[in-house]
Parts: sequence; C-alpha cells; structure tokens
Amino acid sequence: MLGKLDWSAIPIDEPIPLIAAGVVLFAILAVLIWAGVKGHYPYLWREWITSVDHKRIGVMYILLAMVMLLRGGTDAIMMRAQQTVAYHSNGYLPPEHFNQIFSAHGTIMIFFVGMPFVIGLMNLIVPLQLGVRDVAFPTLNSVGFWLTATGALLINVSLVVGEFARTGWLPFPPLSELTYSPGVGVDYYTWSLEISGIGTLVAGINLVTTVLKLRTRGMTYLRMPMFCWTTLASNLLIIAAFPILTATLAMLILDRYFGFHFFTNEAGGNVMMFMNLIWAWGHPEVYILVLPAFGIFSEVVSTFSSKVLFGYRSMVLATMAICIISFMVWLHHFFTMGAGPDVNAIFGIASMIIAVPTGVKIYNWLFTMFGGRVRFAVPMLWSIGFMVTFIIGGLTGVLLAVPPADFLLHNSLFLVAHFHNVIIGAVLFGAFAGYTYWFPKAFGFRLDEATGKAAFWFTLVGFYVTFMPLYVAGLLGMTRRMQHYDVAAWRPWMIAAGIGTVLLAIGVALQVLQLFVSIRRRDELRDTTGDPWDGRSLEWATSSPPPAFNFAVLPNVTGEDAYWRVKEHARRQDLDKREPDYKDIEMPRNSPTGFVCAFFATVMGFALIWHIWWMVGLGAVGAFATFVVFAWRDHDEYIIPATEVARIDRTNLAARRAALDLAGIAQ
Amino acid sequence: MTETTFAYAQGDPHRLRGIQQAEVAHEGPAPKRIVTAYGFWIFLLSDIVMFSCFFASYAVLLGQTAGGPSGAQLFDLRSTAAETALLLLSSFACGLASIAADVRSARWFQAAMALTCVLGLGFLILEAREFADLVGRGAGPTRSAFLSAFFTLVGCHGLHVSAGVLWLLTMMAQVYAKGFRADILRRMLCFALFWHALDIIWVAIFSVVYLIGSGA
Amino acid sequence: MSEQIDHLHDRPDLAPGDEEEVRIGPRLLGYATGLGLSVLLTATSFFIAGTDLVWQPSIPVALVVLAIAQMGVHLVFFLHITTGPDNTNNVMALAFGLLIVFLVVGGSLWIMSHLNHNMMPMDQIMQMER
Repeated sequence: MLGKLDWSAIPIDEPIPLIAAGVVLFAILAVLIWAGVKGHYPYLWREWITSVDHKRIGVMYILLAMVMLLRGGTDAIMMRAQQTVAYHSNGYLPPEHFNQIFSAHGTIMIFFVGMPFVIGLMNLIVPLQLGVRDVAFPTLNSVGFWLTATGALLINVSLVVGEFARTGWLPFPPLSELTYSPGVGVDYYTWSLEISGIGTLVAGINLVTTVLKLRTRGMTYLRMPMFCWTTLASNLLIIAAFPILTATLAMLILDRYFGFHFFTNEAGGNVMMFMNLIWAWGHPEVYILVLPAFGIFSEVVSTFSSKVLFGYRSMVLATMAICIISFMVWLHHFFTMGAGPDVNAIFGIASMIIAVPTGVKIYNWLFTMFGGRVRFAVPMLWSIGFMVTFIIGGLTGVLLAVPPADFLLHNSLFLVAHFHNVIIGAVLFGAFAGYTYWFPKAFGFRLDEATGKAAFWFTLVGFYVTFMPLYVAGLLGMTRRMQHYDVAAWRPWMIAAGIGTVLLAIGVALQVLQLFVSIRRRDELRDTTGDPWDGRSLEWATSSPPPAFNFAVLPNVTGEDAYWRVKEHARRQDLDKREPDYKDIEMPRNSPTGFVCAFFATVMGFALIWHIWWMVGLGAVGAFATFVVFAWRDHDEYIIPATEVARIDRTNLAARRAALDLAGIAQ
Repeated sequence: MTETTFAYAQGDPHRLRGIQQAEVAHEGPAPKRIVTAYGFWIFLLSDIVMFSCFFASYAVLLGQTAGGPSGAQLFDLRSTAAETALLLLSSFACGLASIAADVRSARWFQAAMALTCVLGLGFLILEAREFADLVGRGAGPTRSAFLSAFFTLVGCHGLHVSAGVLWLLTMMAQVYAKGFRADILRRMLCFALFWHALDIIWVAIFSVVYLIGSGA
Repeated sequence: MSEQIDHLHDRPDLAPGDEEEVRIGPRLLGYATGLGLSVLLTATSFFIAGTDLVWQPSIPVALVVLAIAQMGVHLVFFLHITTGPDNTNNVMALAFGLLIVFLVVGGSLWIMSHLNHNMMPMDQIMQMER
C-alpha cells in the first residue's frame, strides 16, 4: 500500500536532523498559524499563490532562494565545524550523515539558491527593461516557479522522511546505482531535480521568447540593456543544457528502478557515459548562473558610475561567445579519467579560451568606472568585491584548465576553493547586488544602507578567511569531502576556515537584519519617484512598485540607455506636459494552475521515491486534469479600464515630474 | 517618462555608428500566435537535445551486447517499414487537419484528426508488439547495455507519440466543444509542430537505430 | 535615421509552422509533395540498407545523408521552415539547437572512444590480477 515507506524511514536515532526538522516544522507551523489568525490566506492566495504577474513570481523565486540559502548555509556551517574539530577524532557528525550534508549543500546551493535567485531577478526585471507588460507565457511562468518549489520541498522532506543522497552533488555511478546506494537518498535527488528541472526549462523557454519576441517599440537588439542580453544567453543555455540533465537522470532512474544497464558495472554499462553527459549539462550550468550575474554587474556599474557601459558591443559579443564556448569545454571536469592527450589538450585550450571573453568583460567594467563619478552604494560595493574576488577565482580556474596541473589538483580542496571562489564571488555577490539594486523597484522602498554595508564587509572578509585557507590545504594535498583527517599540517587551515565561516554567517545574519530594519524604516526609505539610483534603463521609468500593467503606455525607444535619454531630454528642454492617450489594458487573469499542478507533482514525486505506484497514477492524472481544466477556461484575460490606468499613472507622472524639475533646477 | 515618444537626444553613447541602420527598426511586441508558436518551437528544440542524449548513449553502447543478441539478430525491418509508413501518413493527415482548422471546417478537421489518431495508434500498436516480442525472446532492456539504450531511445519516442495522441484527443474535444477560438488555433499550430517533429525524430531512429544498427 | 529604414518596417514575422501561402490547393500540394519526397527517401534508405549492390562501408554514410535529406524535406514541407526574412528567428533557433545536438552527439562519441586511451588492454589487466 505504501511501497517502501514505513516507520523506519523516520530517523529517530539521529538527533541532529530530527531536531533540525523539528525546529523547521515548528517555524513553518508558526508562520502558517500566524497567517491564519491574521486572516492573510485569502490575500496570499489571490495576490501571490495564484498570481501570474512576472514581478510577483520573481519575488517568490527570490524568497525561495533566500530561504534555501539559509538551509544550504546551515549545511555549510555544519561541514566546516566538522572539519575544524575532526582532527584525529570522529567529530560530531557520523560519516553517513556528513555525506548527506555535503550532497545536500551542493544540490541546494546550485539548484535551489543560485537558480531561483537569478531566474527570480530575470523574471522581475527583464520585462520592465524591455518595456513590456508581462512575460511571454504568464501562466507557464507560475507553473515553472511552483515546480521549482516542489523540488525544494522534496529535498527538505528527505530530512525527516528517509534520507538524502550520500553521493555528492552529482550522483556519480556506480556509487549511485542500486547496488551501492540501496536507500531512497538518490531517488530524492533524482526526482526533485527532474521536477524542478522541468520548472527551470519552462522558465528558460519563457524568458527566451520574451526577449526575442516581446520588446517594446524601437527596442532593437542592440538597444537592449546588458542584463537582457545576458538573460537571453543564460536562458538559451538553459533550454540547451537542462534537457541533457533530464535525460541523464532519467537513465540513472531507469537503472535504479527497472534494472537497465546504462551506468552499471555489469552487462556492458559504462559509468563514463554518465560523467560525460552530466558534465555536458554541468558546465553550461555554471554559465547559466554566472551570465545573469554579469548582466547585473553591468547595470550596477554603469548606473553607479553615471556613465554609459563601456564597450557595449564587445560585451554583447563576449556574452554570446561565452554562450557557445561553454558548450565545448565539459571534458575539463574529468581530465583525469583516461582521455588521451589530444582530447585533453583540445578541451584544455577551449577552457582557457573561454577566459578571454570573461576578461573582456572585466576590462569593460573597469573602463566604465574609469573617469566616472562613482557612488559607493551597497550594490556597487558588491560589484567591486566581485571584480577582485572573481579574478582570483578565474585565475585558479585557468590553472585547473591545464591538464597536467589538474592531475595534481583534481578533487582536492584547491578545486573546492576555486569553484566557491567563482560561484560565491560572482553568482552570490551578483545576486546580492541585484537584490539590493532592484529591491526598491519591487517594494517601493530602499534597503537600509548601514546594515547592508556591514553585511557586505563581513561577507567579503569572511569569504577570504574561509576559502583562501582551503586553497592552501588543497595544495598540501587535502582531498575534498573528508569526514576526518590525521594530518597535522592541515589543521590550522581548517580552523582558519572555520573562523571565516563564522564571519560569513554573520554577514548573512546581517542581511536578514537589514530586511527587518528596512521594513521597519520603510517610510524613511520610501522611493517616491520610481528612480532611486538615477538609473538608465526602462525599469526606472515606471513607479516603484510598478502597477500590474508595468507601463500605462508602452514606451517608444529611440536609442540605448532609454530612460537616461528621457531624463537628459527633460533636463534640457521643457517637460512634455501632454497627457498620454490612455487605453484599456488587457492583462492575463490569475490562475491556480501552477500551484495545483505542483501539488500533484509533489504527490507524484513523493510516491515515485517510495514506490507507491497507485499514488503515482493519481498524481499523473491530477496533473493532466489540471491542464485540461486550464485549457477549457473561457476568459484568460481581464480588462483594466483606461480611467483606472490614467488614475494610477497620473500620480506616478506627478512624482516623476517633480523629481525631474528638481534635478533640472539643480543643474 | 511615460509620454509616448522617448525623445531621441544627442550622440551615440555606445559608439554603434551605423550598426542600428543595418538592423531593422523594431515594431514592438509580436502577436500572440507568433509568441506562442515560437515558444513551442524552442521547447521542441530542447526536446530534440534530450533525444540527442539518448542517441549518443545508443551510439556509445551499440557494441555493448554483453554476449546477448545484437541489432542485426533482433530487428525486423518489415515491421519498422510499416511503422514508418504509418507515421508518415499520420503526419500528412495532421497537415490536412491544419489546413481544415485554418479554413474553419470542423467536419474535415475532426475527420483528419481522427485519421491522424488512428495512424498514430497503429504505430504504437506495432511498436508495442515489437517490444513484447523482444522481451519474450529474452532480449528485454535488462539484458544488456545495448538493449537498455535501444528500449530507452525508441520507447521515449513512443512515449512522445502517446502523449501526442492524448493531446490530439483533447484538441478534438476542445474544437468540438468550443469551436475554432484563437487560443485553440494556437494550440493546434503547436500540436502540428509537435507531431511533425516526432516524425523527424523517427527518421533519425529508423536510420540510425534500425537500418545502421541492423547492419552493425 | 528613421527615413532610411522606414521601408524595412513592413517585414512581419511568421510563426514557426505557419505558411505564407493561404490558398488550400497549393497548401495541399505542399503536404503531398512532402509526403511523396519522404516516401521516396525512406524507400531508398530501406533499399540501400538491405542491398549488396553498393560498396558496403559506404552504406552508413549513405543512410545518414538520406536521413538528413529527409529531415530537411520534413522541415520545409511539413514545418514550413524557409530561408525567408520572416523566418530568421526560427532558423536561428533551429541552428542553435542543431549545434548543440552536434556537440552532444559528436562530443560524446569522440570523448567516449578516447577514454580508454591510458588504460591497459583488458587482457593485461586480467593477467595482473592473477
């Protein structure tokens, strides 16, 4: 009846996960009860859960990412603590638990922190920057978000019911095959990634179509802000790479569930095919995460230097070059696995070549700042911190791209330090920069500056104190994922890294604090003009937060840095005082399709993990029925009447005119 | 500023000089039909990338028969030819349905879709018989890596066809209940793309898996 | 600048799968031509695979060429992908997809055939284990 599921799935004998899960469950229950008592459910259901507004969905993606950042960060603290104390001892984490933690840490940080954070920012901002009212497929957008949330949920369920994979963040066979991993851990991994992978693919299709087909009048390709370009490149990579992940994990699932022989040791299976395919996805994945971050830095650096982005064309070219070349380097993740020197050499050279367009970008940002009037607001601090940190990470990457060096360094802590160096230094710093930069756009007030700066400095210093020692330990020969060790020379470096982790944790805590402080002080921090940073692109041309329809009248773009031109124009000449010609606006109706579909996906995923076949059928039928019901509805749009549009827009225009008049006088 | 024209002021900040002259001025958001079909087109391409992984696995594992039967001993090319014929004809029938939908002829639309469905089901029956026959002869997917790859690749295409049949029946019901609404016509356009794309994948399958595979 | 490019404005995009042709007759003829050509190509493929009239090693190459030709026929006559300016975006997306397919399949085959480069032949490993 319940497949493999019984009471032994609850880890009663392991206090740490049980207590952790208890605390989380208690917190969730408390929030749910609080929301119920306050009567927030109808509002949440109407305005958020069923929302198909790209801004709302973007915010929910980012919220998911931040909650999961706390979960993944907790895993990180536990691992660092274990390695700090586990010299000549077993530490406080048993090996099987330690293995689950490093697997969960990597999986969560990449799939449920990095991905939702960048996808959320793209969702929130790209339609605004393109000057349009919504993404190409609003309801699918909601489906994509809720499927991602399903994946995150399933991974967290594994904390209490059953176990998580002990195979690392990529489940390499034969370890991940049924013979060596008979538990449900790997199944939790595969199914949550299959489900959230579909969500990601949907988001990718949606955003590519949005950028290519939905741009406002006059927004030609070469007038798009840089963030739209990097969004395009990143989402092209999503639609090209995520199907590879889906197929590869499907093969592993077939091996585990039906005794197929793709990656088994016997009957002709080939484990190397798994490495090959998973990294054919895995390498582009790195660029899926980092390209949007590059876009964010481009926007931030240009805005806070009050200058046009230096070398826009070379930036576009570099972005698209990275998009293509990132598909030609995947073998460098398994240089040591037996390929001949010719293959290794070619992939090594390709890996070094991809550093060239990245270097081009760094120079462009530097030259954008050069001669500009740089304002060191928090987003700009993250950007500068990124440039320094990412160069170090990039250079160690070039070292690893040399096959002979890689033979010495692979699977050492040097590698671990390298990829944290690029992923924290670029993706996370980028996400934080974007979060601080666009927060006022999403909510109408800025984030508190002082706590933001403190959070930045703690994170930056904490990062260096944590990961520079790992480089050294790696060079001293320490391999990754060690539950305990006996080499005295490594110990000081582990202690240093442990101290760094404390600083990083303080940095994260300060950001949580920043959010609370900012909400409390929201009236002082209010952004009335919709343009708090003196921005250059169209998202600043509407109010903060934008109305549901984004723009009362779709803007007509005549050049690059569209909004900057408007302001220049307004300063030099009299403002255009004519009232625009408001029309009725059609907007997509909210729909519970995404939420209901994700509910059935959760049921199906859980049932598949535990082999509860009748429940699998139930979930599948439910998901199909949801889509048919959605396809059957007669009205998918509602009308916002012109008078309402005019009423909303007039307030916005008045505030904006006042601000521009003020600026005009000041100059 | 939200006035209708974002006035163009001075200069050329990105030093684009003549480049935007070469580019065609942009007219604004595309109509829904183009947006929907384009999004679906991209989905199809991603689906084809997924198939390419299964093709790659098949090609890599082709020789790994683990002492079991090889393709040459297993494949019945007459059955493959019949499956190909059914799928080609169903693609043609689907084309007829597209034309019927565009000229709003419900009767012809339902007839052509029914024909497409019958031909698709015929294909599925032949494929199921072939699979059952192979398993019966002890050449199931668990026999060897080669057979795992074979069953997965061909079976994945079969699953797509099954999903297509489900979609097709839903489309017929929708047109019956609601007529040729704009959104239903958009879905029909996507369905036609899907069905024809499955045919393209089948071309690759019968060439690479069956014809080359039975020679190897 | 706008005068120079105004004449280029009238260039509506076409949805993938949509035809420029709207009359029924020519559209039917298009599908029929596609069917005829693909039947011809399929028949040739099946014939070549079973024949010993041609040089045997050339057969796989011929089959691949025929398959690519037939995919082209399907793209043109069934999916209505053309080289026209209204189809640029559709063709670009297709080209990107094909590039990825080529990289994944070609790269996998190339890598996988070289992975055993540094390995001892299997029989020697067996001998060492004795």
